[in-house]
Amino acid sequence: MAFLNQPSDSTFFVETDEPVQQRTINMRDAAKMLARNKQEMIANELSRLACDEYLEDIMQHMRHMEDETLPDANLIDMQREIQWFMRPYLIDFLIEAHAAFSLLPETLFLTVNLLDRYCSKRVVYKQHYQLVGCAALLIAAKYGDKKDRVPQINELNNMCCGLYDAGMFTQMEMHVLNTLDWNIGHPTVDFFTQLIVAEERDSQEVEHMAAYICEIALYHRDFVSTKPSIMARSSLALARAILGKAEVNDGEWDHVENVTLLTLSQHLHQPSVTLARKYSNPYYSKVSGKLADFLAQQAAIARRGAPPSPPSEPTIASKATNVYSTPHKGLGAVPGVVDGYMTPPITPDGVSFGQKNATMKDYQLPPRCPVTPTPQPTHHTSSTYAQPQQQPQQHIAGPTTYFDGASSNMSF
Amino acid sequence: MDGKRHPSSFQQLEKLGEGTYATVFKGRNRQTGELVALKEIHLDSEEGTPSTAIREISLMKELKHENIVALHDVIHTENKLMLVFEYMDGDLKRYMDTQGDRGALKPMVIKSFMYQLLKGIDFCHKNRVLHRDLKPQNLLINSKGSLKLGDFGLARAFGIPVNTFSNEVVTLWYRAPDVLLGSRTYNTSIDIWSAGCIMAEMFTGRPLFPGTTNEDQIVRIFRIMGTPTERTWPGLTSFPEYKTTWQMYATQNLSSILSQIDHAGIDLISRMLQLRPELRISAHDALQHHWFNDLMPQQPQQQQHHQQQQPMMQPHRGYQQTVPSQQNYESY
Repeated sequence: MAFLNQPSDSTFFVETDEPVQQRTINMRDAAKMLARNKQEMIANELSRLACDEYLEDIMQHMRHMEDETLPDANLIDMQREIQWFMRPYLIDFLIEAHAAFSLLPETLFLTVNLLDRYCSKRVVYKQHYQLVGCAALLIAAKYGDKKDRVPQINELNNMCCGLYDAGMFTQMEMHVLNTLDWNIGHPTVDFFTQLIVAEERDSQEVEHMAAYICEIALYHRDFVSTKPSIMARSSLALARAILGKAEVNDGEWDHVENVTLLTLSQHLHQPSVTLARKYSNPYYSKVSGKLADFLAQQAAIARRGAPPSPPSEPTIASKATNVYSTPHKGLGAVPGVVDGYMTPPITPDGVSFGQKNATMKDYQLPPRCPVTPTPQPTHHTSSTYAQPQQQPQQHIAGPTTYFDGASSNMSF
Repeated sequence: MDGKRHPSSFQQLEKLGEGTYATVFKGRNRQTGELVALKEIHLDSEEGTPSTAIREISLMKELKHENIVALHDVIHTENKLMLVFEYMDGDLKRYMDTQGDRGALKPMVIKSFMYQLLKGIDFCHKNRVLHRDLKPQNLLINSKGSLKLGDFGLARAFGIPVNTFSNEVVTLWYRAPDVLLGSRTYNTSIDIWSAGCIMAEMFTGRPLFPGTTNEDQIVRIFRIMGTPTERTWPGLTSFPEYKTTWQMYATQNLSSILSQIDHAGIDLISRMLQLRPELRISAHDALQHHWFNDLMPQQPQQQQHHQQQQPMMQPHRGYQQTVPSQQNYESY
């Protein structure tokens, strides 16, 4: 490979030599790609060996960890201020932040797991919901990502439009760590997906579609307490079906997997615009477009196949699916409709958020940046945040017994 | 872990060591009198809790094993984090310096230590954790002759297939050749190479490959293990740090360099010090190696009845009595 010995000073490549330069670069690219492929083969071999030796033990450990680190959606139901309709705003924000910092795929799932586990244990005020999300993202990145990728606190602060004091991030981070008893390790859906994909030799497209489906699931209460291993199998089965790939026989399916698969399939309509845009990238095999096409096709088949007698049926059907569709923060949930800069989702605030029984109708309009942090005239403003220990908890009434011993910590 | 515990529950004794991000003190539990090691981590208000602390604490909470230092508690105060570890008398480096013959240890002590080291590594790998910084300074010893893995600040959970990692891991002297060559997809075999280097060092009292730079480290390894080629190591030329300028060294006979080690020991160490990661023995298999056969000589089935009367025959098999008891250990 003679080109490696060519003088490498920049003056060698003058403009007139463009074809030569082109060719050299191509050869270099080719050599690089070849090297990358070889490295990949070595990596696969190493994986296989680690797999042969330790897979059984690791799986046993992961199953145990999976049970230990599952959030409880029923406990999150009992939160007084934060409501499920606020979740899509926060998940959108986390997905954007996660992408902005180029964090590892599993970091997103770990972030949401930490968030939900925290919300299963502590009362969270709505103005701190996004702060908890940021702390979870920070911890997840520190746990799994390279040091230089871990978000800086001032960067996170900017993403929150300066909603919080810089010190609040580190305080909340420590609070989340202590609340979760420093048990940060969690087998994410990604861990199981990688394993199955390697085992079943699924294509990258299937893998991307499954990842898309898993991230759609993050928006919904229905999957908060679904085990990641079940989510991995179900999402991959669904992804294969959507992409018209052959079913695989990966052991017996029980009731939970079937229910999860069915519930997942009911939540594919109107995914979050933010998420759909992320997966419209060629890097992710443009799977969001493919999913939209598939759903449109299915709808057309359903229309054609619908019995003619009750003409109103399709409308009823579409209404029914709307109930199950992704609760979305704004109008225009069709992928590709919204262009330009997306509103950074802010801790839901404003009129509609104060209402306990707010329905989907109440939040049709997304809040615009910068949303007022609205330092409320009540006693839990950001200044009292600094002394959480002294915060009395009179305003939390009702069935809060599950926050045992939490009274000194609930002021978040 | 009880978050309500206070630093004042512990009497702070002498300083045991100082690292880049933490200071370790000897401590005494005021209530029980139990000795502990207190690792104090300063909290930076800019970056919050260091990632090393998050990894170390969360991984060590998962790893409860007799050959891994136990983390008893995490105490958080305003500007510092205090990790309460079980107390160990010293580290292997210090032990070799003070107890060894010019650093070299007795073969039966080495065998016992290697067995415990591999047990600890095996347990980490079974729980999908790579230690990534095994070296004598991070192996802790107590007066009962137990060896335990410590300092999980560089440790990481791994996935299958292996994820891409940083190659800025492991102290240079104990760093595996594939990592030195720029591999980012190493796996459990990275810890085995370090274990092999540590085994040689216990026999000779000197580090096996005391390199000064990445390049020097590679050359030192090749001088003994032989310079690999694409033929002996398929894929070698694809590593980022592959150089066509390497001098070609022939493979040395390990038994002539490490004449202190017996035949079986040479067989084991040569399986651990394989240049190609995929050929390196696993911790699990290494523990089955016949070099360890004479480690539990008093353990045939018929003697099991007597075990209750013999305190030294406890779960650790027969290795504990082989280590002389030590005093004056201050380094943690």
